Amino acid sequence: MDELDEIHELVRVEAVTRRFPLDHSYVSAVCDVSLTVDPGEFLAIAGPSGSGKSTLLNLIGCIDKPTAGHILIDGVDTSTLDSTRMTALRRQKIGFVFQTFNLIPVFTAQENVEFPLLVQGIGARERRIRVAAALESVGLSARANHRPDLLSGGERQRVAVARAIVHRPALVLADEPTANLDTRNATQLIDLMHDLNRRLGLTFIFSTHDQRLLEHTDRIVRLTDGQVISDTHDAEAPVANFAREGASHGQVLAVSL
Amino acid sequence: MAKFLLLAFRNVFRNRRRTVMTLIMVGGGVAGLLLVGGFFARMFWGLRESTINDGLGHIQIFTAEHFNREEKHVLDTGIDNWRKVAATISTGGHVRGVAPRIEFYGMLSNGVKSSVFMGSAVDPVAEKSLGFSARLAKGRDLGTKSSGEIEALIGTGVARSMNVNVGDGLTILAVTSDGALNGIDVQIVGIVNTGFKEVDDRYLRITLPSAQRLLQSDRVTNLVVGLDATENTDQVAALLAPRLNGLPQQLVLKKWVDLANYYKQVRSLFSTIFVFLGFIVFFMVLMSSVNTLLMSMFERTREIGTMLAMGTPRSWIMALFVLEATLLGVLGAIVGVAGGNLLAVLLNHSGIHLPPPPGTTVPMAFRVMHVPSLMIGSSILVIVSLALAAILPAIRASRLQIAEALAHV
Repeated sequence: MDELDEIHELVRVEAVTRRFPLDHSYVSAVCDVSLTVDPGEFLAIAGPSGSGKSTLLNLIGCIDKPTAGHILIDGVDTSTLDSTRMTALRRQKIGFVFQTFNLIPVFTAQENVEFPLLVQGIGARERRIRVAAALESVGLSARANHRPDLLSGGERQRVAVARAIVHRPALVLADEPTANLDTRNATQLIDLMHDLNRRLGLTFIFSTHDQRLLEHTDRIVRLTDGQVISDTHDAEAPVANFAREGASHGQVLAVSL
Repeated sequence: MAKFLLLAFRNVFRNRRRTVMTLIMVGGGVAGLLLVGGFFARMFWGLRESTINDGLGHIQIFTAEHFNREEKHVLDTGIDNWRKVAATISTGGHVRGVAPRIEFYGMLSNGVKSSVFMGSAVDPVAEKSLGFSARLAKGRDLGTKSSGEIEALIGTGVARSMNVNVGDGLTILAVTSDGALNGIDVQIVGIVNTGFKEVDDRYLRITLPSAQRLLQSDRVTNLVVGLDATENTDQVAALLAPRLNGLPQQLVLKKWVDLANYYKQVRSLFSTIFVFLGFIVFFMVLMSSVNTLLMSMFERTREIGTMLAMGTPRSWIMALFVLEATLLGVLGAIVGVAGGNLLAVLLNHSGIHLPPPPGTTVPMAFRVMHVPSLMIGSSILVIVSLALAAILPAIRASRLQIAEALAHV
């Protein structure tokens, strides 16, 4: 791989293994996995339950550390970062969407979306503008002042997506985002994420075994027993234009959101 | 910061039933402290005023020598020219009056039996003007007008020991200021029960002119100053001290609190009891709040994991928990202060009476004072208790492993 390719890689997973203690031995949830993700990709990590999808996603999301191997995010080797820098990296570069939405129940949709910006110390005026744009982009402007318990499952997950993209991350990680949604809401969410990927050039990596989601995915990494058994690209699927042009995500989002 | 406060505030009301229970517990602690403290404060106030009005006065003036050496002869450390001193004091603001006193001792005799007495001589007019009165068990107080007979009050123990009653006569023997022995006959006009057996067994009171005739001296032991309000004592004492310095005899001024040893002992005892109660409330609030806050933390494990995943610094998570607990403490303190004061008003109007205190026969009305410093102190106590109670849950929350927290069910 030449130097130019390395610079363009957003995520680089190098021979990563994650073992967990179990009774008096260890079990490997992820075993010697390597892959790279370019900016603007829409990538699914697929596999049956217990195949290591969520563990790999956690490792890429810097909320867990590999037992062996290295993970580079935007060229930064995460194994060299201490806890504080790791937190800062997550805060600035990564957005998360969870299977169970994980919204703060006492906050409204708007306040939930605002939270990552608060953590980043962004001023009130800028926050208002960005939150409005993020909610607009997921089609929930009218529901901005509703608390999560007054939103449907699909709406909650869209709020979660807005929260994941509002701070203009380089990477959005979604762990089984459609698992708790019915077909209609799941389809809407898939379309939304795909649209954000294409329109804003956001890089999405998500774990799923939802066939509906896989059908819309450009690239599928299949895991079994913690190992990559296939990594397939849809030749027809275009990678987001901005990535081909080599633009940075932050710049594109700054214009779009 | 405002949003962070908002988050903490909303989290406080997240589980309303638990919050209400916590507020009842914290508020109950504050209200309990206010009621007990308010009752003690009222008791201290009552004891203070009764101590002062029983004859101690607000301020007493002695010669400096009185405290420096023992008397060789009676009144040789007494105040000379005391009328001038009294006049100097009386011109000051807040002074209601000045009462001269002589403390002396000697022998009592009924012609058959003799007994030692500890006597005091007073000016009945001055005493009356200051509201001082003896605790009479029988008879009347010393007369304000001089008559042919020398009147005396004796203690119940003296009356029993000498087998005398109101209207009977006794002979008093004492050493004069010149060292000679002198005696006068007195008529008993009243029998006093101070409530203290040791005092009643030696108690004798006569008028000041009678004592001066007996002791052959124009001096007095001390001057008792009565003020319009006890709260003015420090102010008047500060004003009087320099005036006394200008007099020929070196005089010292003692405030009531310097002389009220019984009051100080009672106050010290009940203050210790109150501190102990405060500690119990602090401990109860602390322990039950730790439990409540830990439950809250466990319920919100996944939410905390989400916040940490989004890059929230761990210190923020800690601060959030401490802030929530502090808010809970503030709300609990408000509930407690409001509830405590309301209960105090109700109790004060309930007409409840307590059994008579030792040495008295009159039941004591149950009264609770509203003490602002107690309200502030109790509130700070529970707020600090809750903030401290949040430390363990806050540390645990901030140290959660994100991946594990997100998988928490």
